[in-house]
Amino acid sequence: MTATSAPAAPDATTNENGRTMSTAGTPDRALLPTATGAQTLAVVGPLLRRHRGLAVVAVTVLLVGTGIGLLTAPLLGHIVDQVVQRRGADALTWPMILLVAVAVGRGAATAVGSSLVARLGETVLASLREQFIERALRLPLERVEKAGSGDLTSRVTGDVALIAQTVRQALPEFSRSVFTIVLTLVGLAVLDWRFALVVLIAAPVHYFTVRWYMSRAIPVYAAHRVATGALQHQLLDSVGGVRTVRAFRLTGRHVDLVGERSQSAVDLALRGNRLVTGFFSRLNIAEFLGLTSVLVTGFFLVDNGSVSIGTATAAALYFHSLFNPLNAALVLIDDAQSAGASLARLVGVSTLPGEVEPDRPAAPADGSVRVTALSHTYVTGRPVLHDVDLTVRDGERVALVGASGAGKTTLAKLIAGIHQPSGGSVALGGVDSRELGPAGIRRAVTLISQEVHVFAGALSDDLRLARPEATDDELRAALEKVDALSWVEELPDGLATVVGEGGHRLTVTQAQHLALARLVLADPPVAILDEATADAGSAGARTLETAAARALSGRTSLIVAHRLTQAATADRVVVLDGGRVVESGTHEELVAAGGRYAALWGAWAESRREAVTG
Amino acid sequence: MLDGGPTGGDVLRRAIAGQRRHVAGASLLGTAHQACEAMVPVVIGLVIDQAVATGSSGALLRWLLVLAGLFLVLSSCYRIGARMGERAGEQAAHLLRRDLGARVLDPRGGADKDRLPGVLATIATSDAKRVGGVATVLPYGVSALAGLAISAVALLRISVPLGLLVLLGIPPLLWLGHRISLPLERRSGTEQEHAAQASGIATDLVSGLRVLKGFGAEAAAVDRYRRTSQDSLAAALRAAGSRAWHDGAILALTGIFIAIIGLVGAHLAMSGDISVGDLVAAVGLAQFLLGPFQLLTYVNGQLAQGRASADRIASVLAAPPAVPAGAAAPAEPVAGALRLRGVRHGALRGVDLDIRPGSLVGVVAKDPATAADLLVCLGREAVPDEGSIELDGVGLSELDPVGTRRAILVAHHDADLFEGTLLDNVLAGGEGDAAGAAPALRAAAADEVAGTLPDGLGTLIDERGRSLSGGQRQRVALARALAADPPVLVVHDPTTAVDTVTESRIAGRLRELREGRTTILVTTSPALLATADRVVVLDGGTVTADGPHTELAAADAAYRSVVLA
Repeated sequence: MTATSAPAAPDATTNENGRTMSTAGTPDRALLPTATGAQTLAVVGPLLRRHRGLAVVAVTVLLVGTGIGLLTAPLLGHIVDQVVQRRGADALTWPMILLVAVAVGRGAATAVGSSLVARLGETVLASLREQFIERALRLPLERVEKAGSGDLTSRVTGDVALIAQTVRQALPEFSRSVFTIVLTLVGLAVLDWRFALVVLIAAPVHYFTVRWYMSRAIPVYAAHRVATGALQHQLLDSVGGVRTVRAFRLTGRHVDLVGERSQSAVDLALRGNRLVTGFFSRLNIAEFLGLTSVLVTGFFLVDNGSVSIGTATAAALYFHSLFNPLNAALVLIDDAQSAGASLARLVGVSTLPGEVEPDRPAAPADGSVRVTALSHTYVTGRPVLHDVDLTVRDGERVALVGASGAGKTTLAKLIAGIHQPSGGSVALGGVDSRELGPAGIRRAVTLISQEVHVFAGALSDDLRLARPEATDDELRAALEKVDALSWVEELPDGLATVVGEGGHRLTVTQAQHLALARLVLADPPVAILDEATADAGSAGARTLETAAARALSGRTSLIVAHRLTQAATADRVVVLDGGRVVESGTHEELVAAGGRYAALWGAWAESRREAVTG
Repeated sequence: MLDGGPTGGDVLRRAIAGQRRHVAGASLLGTAHQACEAMVPVVIGLVIDQAVATGSSGALLRWLLVLAGLFLVLSSCYRIGARMGERAGEQAAHLLRRDLGARVLDPRGGADKDRLPGVLATIATSDAKRVGGVATVLPYGVSALAGLAISAVALLRISVPLGLLVLLGIPPLLWLGHRISLPLERRSGTEQEHAAQASGIATDLVSGLRVLKGFGAEAAAVDRYRRTSQDSLAAALRAAGSRAWHDGAILALTGIFIAIIGLVGAHLAMSGDISVGDLVAAVGLAQFLLGPFQLLTYVNGQLAQGRASADRIASVLAAPPAVPAGAAAPAEPVAGALRLRGVRHGALRGVDLDIRPGSLVGVVAKDPATAADLLVCLGREAVPDEGSIELDGVGLSELDPVGTRRAILVAHHDADLFEGTLLDNVLAGGEGDAAGAAPALRAAAADEVAGTLPDGLGTLIDERGRSLSGGQRQRVALARALAADPPVLVVHDPTTAVDTVTESRIAGRLRELREGRTTILVTTSPALLATADRVVVLDGGTVTADGPHTELAAADAAYRSVVLA
């Protein structure tokens, strides 16, 4: 386990493990915490205890199997003795039968033991990853964003996979090797206690080799992971943007960038390889020392008649057969170490406090929204919202308008409960958001932003995230409501078409259609659309506006829009400027008033009006 | 490399041939290492025979010195040889990665068709590594063969029947092992699939976290992950079960094999055909021999993987270019006259269009697909199925793609920003400096974006500009296109995420900045179209209207419904 110094507090600052995984150029991010050894144990311990019986049986069976296996060498030694003493061919029958029995017994015990160890490891692993993902998905978004999205993603992909690989490949081999080593030492002691004693001469070499290796390998491997991450990142950057690369004739530069990143990954891989090869060749010294000691001891013990030649042979064969398990166990310490570091990173997230739900969550009475003296600051000294008061009646449609940076998105996020306001309060349906709790807020409000994401899998599964128990007919009805049913039914497999990453690629407009269908399915009293139609291109935007209007009917809605047609059709327009509400009223009132909104509308309508009149 | 296109075999052969010195060196040293490893049990046997059995301390010392020498050689050969092999593999993978990068990003295109960026990135990392890995494991294969040969000689020298027994016994043993492992391979394939699925779903849910939180679907998402995780667990347990039985069976089989060798050896020793030391050495060698055989099986597996990976790499390298090379560069200076005649491609159904040098033309496409196909043809990302596009009277198909793009820059709606500072991004397309980029920044209102960022123009943009909002990203991308200052600039929907006031400001400044050079605005934004000299409407894949924005807006109801709705 690494010496991780991260405090238990949720806002643990950057520590060494974390920093190595962060993306370049962002040293001031508050990375998600890494658990201490004690915290890790506190989480993994109970999981293991739940399978205590399984663990005991698995260890016992493996021990028995290894023990049986160790009978091979003394049996061979016994055969040698029979040969030396010229006992005749009959004397070999029993040792032979026993040797075969040993082989079969050992094989069977290994099979049973290994599958039990795998069952234990895999089951605990599954609980662990499920716990982790559950907590990760329930983390306050603010916390995830503070750490940068890469931090959580790298834990979800890299760390979970690394631990799984360790449990799958290293754990069975490691446990078998350790049992073999321990029991071989016992076996040597049974042959003659002096054999067991002298092989310990090799132990200091093992100890110092492992220490030498770990202190050097950990930073090199960490750097190598970062370098391969950077290479992957560069490839996705260049290949993902290949049209831009070609349009701007950047091929040469990007090929060079890929080459540079690849070269540094290669250099670090070779440095790591130097350490591994150095490690094994140092272990050769231990092998030689141990083997020599056993042979010399055998020489003297045979000489003074304490043991037979066969016993000395058995001891030497014992030690020779230790070479592989010793190497395997020692090199796996390295795997165990990195798995331990990954585990600490998973547990670090698992131990973060989730969103706090109130003891007795209240329910909103209707779809009204009341914002009182709301202010918000992301960076100290640069407030984004000042003292905003806003009341939206149940069922009212309000458009939020203003230049970029006016605070529209922040206001939307505060109402949707994505961020906690720095000051002031939000009430939904007459109940203060804090009394509703995060789950209550989300039942009351759905926020669709311009960020689109199509969840990978069948299209119907994507929609069912909004309402898991929905029937196919209900899904179709929701799609129909947002005018999306026709194109969905034209997809290769209709509702069952696999979409998202690696599946059928949907256009931005189609993706936002799905978002609107999810809104219909989730059916909250309040909906907030934050420039949900912006990235769709102008033609797509119009299609989506019609769909949005249908999805929003019957709901209280707040629409952040720069296409002012949406503002013109709203019940009321609220203009934000510099984080304050500067105007509020119907479209006609505000146009007549000749203020900020009138100016915005003028710019928007100028080309149109001039066109129509001219 | 593009012409003719390499096969998977070519890729593999070239990767190894490129590293032949390291591969040869590693094979030689690996052979020496195997030989020494094989000699260790032989020397143990000799110590037992000549020292322990006889009590001769001189013999003990002598043989221990031999053992020391053996370990020294063994260790050094391993260290140096393994490093050489690794270097060969890493270096080969690196060279392949560069080739792949160059092919995928090649101006002629083609390799990225129908392949997701993630897939191409995997080919350039995992597959390149596997092909490189062949160069690393090849020396192991050679040394394993050498190890086999050496032990065979040693065994046959001890006793011909015993040697033959061992050598003839091992292949059927391995064959049995292979038969046993067939279902295992299938199951671990399923296991990997399930694990990949679980991990894919987790990543997907986390990357869609903001959207997920927007409609409060955390509980449903957790349930979904739990289900795939449990599926993955079930598959993993099945695979682990068969792996365990496989390992157990192999252990039992080898144990029985060693027992048989011991029995036969003991009989030979009793009848005096071989010495006790020979018996010990024979048992030791039989145990050792399993190593090289297993190594050969492993090398074989790696070779199979390497071949499959080489095929995937070859299919990318050999992908036919999307557009022909074309030799000529556009005549300098480029006047910027475009002439389209009967262009049919995808949604384009015979487009005729003339664009005068230096004019600002709006293009309104009712169907987004039409706009996309027009951009693909103008950017020379594809050759039109029919018809011709001429720049200053020369067909684009006769021009070199790089030269064409120097003359005609197509700035896509979903243009990507790259990792680097904001200024780096803006300067990417031209040769200018910060001062030279100032007018472009101002015209695209990207100077305002820089003003709101912590380090201004020096702010680092990461993850393809995801740290910026949609509107900020669009303005930086537009500034980049303007700063490149091409003779012909084609921009597609550059202001969809920009607020109205800023949009109309951009529209005016863009016209000013592009004065005298051909500019095509593919958009339905009235603010931008109002600045154009004329607007061309594409409907049903052909030009249906052509005139100034004001006239079209006044006279054409269909135009109004597209642009002014």
